[in-house]
Amino acid sequence: MTGTLLFQSLVLGVLLGGLYALLAAGLTLYFGVMRVVMIAHSAFLVLAAYLAWDFNQRTGLDPLVSLVVTVPLFFLAGVGMQRLLIARLRPATVTMMSVLLTFAVALTIEGLLGFVYSGTQRRIQLPYSGASIDFFGARIAVVKLIAFGLAALALLGLFLVLTRTRFGQALRATIQHPQAAQLLGIDTNRIAGFGFGLGLATAAIGGTALALDSTIFPSLHWHWIGPLMAIIVVGGLGSVPGAAIAAMLLGIMQSLLQLPMGTTWAQTVFYLALFATLMIRPQGFFGGRLAQRF
Amino acid sequence: MKVSTLLRFGGAAMAAALTLTACGGAQPGASGGGAPTDPITIGVSLPLTGDFSEPGKGVQRGYEAWAKAVNDKGGLLGRQVELKILDDQSNADRVVSDYESLIEQDQVDLVFGPFSTRLVVPSARVAKEYGMLFVEPAGAAAQVFEQGFDNLFYAAPAIADDHYNHLAETIIAMPPDQRPKTAAYAAMDDPFAQGTAYGLKKKLEAAGIQTVVDEVYPPNTTDFGGIAAKIRDSGAEIMVGGTQYQDAVNLIVALQQLNYQPKLAAFTTAPTNPEFPAAIGSKTEGILSPTGWTAEAKFPSNVEFVKLYTAQFGSAPSEDEANAYTTGEVVAAAVTAVGCAAQGDCQQKLIGWLRTNTVDTVVGPLSWDAQGRPQSAHLIQQYVDGKIKIVLPAESKEAEFTFPKAAW
Repeated sequence: MTGTLLFQSLVLGVLLGGLYALLAAGLTLYFGVMRVVMIAHSAFLVLAAYLAWDFNQRTGLDPLVSLVVTVPLFFLAGVGMQRLLIARLRPATVTMMSVLLTFAVALTIEGLLGFVYSGTQRRIQLPYSGASIDFFGARIAVVKLIAFGLAALALLGLFLVLTRTRFGQALRATIQHPQAAQLLGIDTNRIAGFGFGLGLATAAIGGTALALDSTIFPSLHWHWIGPLMAIIVVGGLGSVPGAAIAAMLLGIMQSLLQLPMGTTWAQTVFYLALFATLMIRPQGFFGGRLAQRF
Repeated sequence: MKVSTLLRFGGAAMAAALTLTACGGAQPGASGGGAPTDPITIGVSLPLTGDFSEPGKGVQRGYEAWAKAVNDKGGLLGRQVELKILDDQSNADRVVSDYESLIEQDQVDLVFGPFSTRLVVPSARVAKEYGMLFVEPAGAAAQVFEQGFDNLFYAAPAIADDHYNHLAETIIAMPPDQRPKTAAYAAMDDPFAQGTAYGLKKKLEAAGIQTVVDEVYPPNTTDFGGIAAKIRDSGAEIMVGGTQYQDAVNLIVALQQLNYQPKLAAFTTAPTNPEFPAAIGSKTEGILSPTGWTAEAKFPSNVEFVKLYTAQFGSAPSEDEANAYTTGEVVAAAVTAVGCAAQGDCQQKLIGWLRTNTVDTVVGPLSWDAQGRPQSAHLIQQYVDGKIKIVLPAESKEAEFTFPKAAW
């Protein structure tokens, strides 16, 4: 193993970790706001990826432009989904029942994607698909860099919204103590709806980032949901920065472990980390007490 | 069971029909055996949903195209053919119960194989228990032929390990100063995909071409950056992928992103897919792929197949459809030669006939060894000026084999 390979793998790991962070951000948010386990998150990622692909096919424009439409659309879909479906679950069993409900949503999205776009595996063909820039001897693919940039921007935006705006404060109050938030005059139902919308809006960005550098097909979401769930548990359920740190660490570990262990075993790092977290620190390594910190 | 049928097919058919009546229970007028006007029913289980749904539907279209072609010409033995297709949801347990119910309850006269090695093996076992002929369009991995099946025939030119044979011969025959010295292999953890890459690896290693990377990845791998980094770092002169579809596309792009420039790049399955150039764009030049079938092949039944299929479905067939059609042709040839299509003794006669005869199909003449391995070879195709063309073997070539390939 050469130093170049080690460095290249580290660079790839950082880029991968950034993408994981973006894809996992929404997932941890839903749990934080509403104790909802959103199995359909990765299905929405794939849906956004298909919309980006379709947009590129029809207009020939860069798939990133599709964000102008998909981000607001997904936000509204998220608000609608929370108000019409999630809010009707009994609060006492919402975590369990949300698994079933969102599982059904995931299957529905997968089925509809297969119906509309067929099961044919698609990939957006970009003039810069194979382009890369030299970075101290390692190659950084332009598409991966764009995806990383999108992740950084989206996470920064999310962080600013949550910490600097009144809506963010209300959302965090809802996460920390719904009853107290209500006593202070916060309409927690409305806030929960917006929180869900925000989570799905990150899925629109994540799905588009995913579409830039992968081949997509309707059942792809099953490959993603497991690692993403592991990331948010390791990061501490409900903590966006925790998920981001866990995503980055696991991405780098996966990439580096691939060198000595091969692809098959390197993938198990997510599940080993999940088991270790549940055994040693069930509240997650970066989230503090369950879903309380941001 | 009408007496006229028995007279018509003679003693053997009588035995078959009696066995049938005995085994099939009290089902007077069940389709098995069949009167001369009854259709010949053919049972198939296919992955119409789930992981293999895309190729599964392709195989379904191939079977339907074959049935239509046969029926338009008056059927088999003067009887129409009727397909009974069940959906096994890409699930190996479902495929077993599907074939059991097709043979037991529905009393189908013949069965055709499902799609993919993982589903072929369990279903071939069911067919063997019932003594049914089992011609299959998709189980190419070496393991399929090592299970002791005496009823199985693979309806394609060659098993997975032999797909790259023409390429191996060509590389080994190169003068020593041009011959590559190092090779990288990446294969999906799947019997078919791995079989293709390792078949070539074995031959090249025996010829002294050193293996510098040998990566196996699980089927759910979507990120190929790490594998590509290893391959690039090894500086392997040639790159061989034992791939399906998305893995090949993602790996090729990842290799291009790292600016790895091999002298030869060969991948199974994906490059022959019409979606491949749409995904990779202009950077396909020089990529190699083995194929069992092309629309351009001039075998008489192939010309007819491509024309009829295109008329029926509005688009040209691909390899999955062609393999399914081949399955139909193989079974039809045996049925026509032996003169029967029913459960029971007839099946052994069909099996015996295929053991010793050659069948002309859309992929050329096929014959089999005792385990059902076809005895032909795959063609090697290469992207030349943006189009995929046959380059090996020399007698079938449409374009010259390019080595080393241009940078991608």
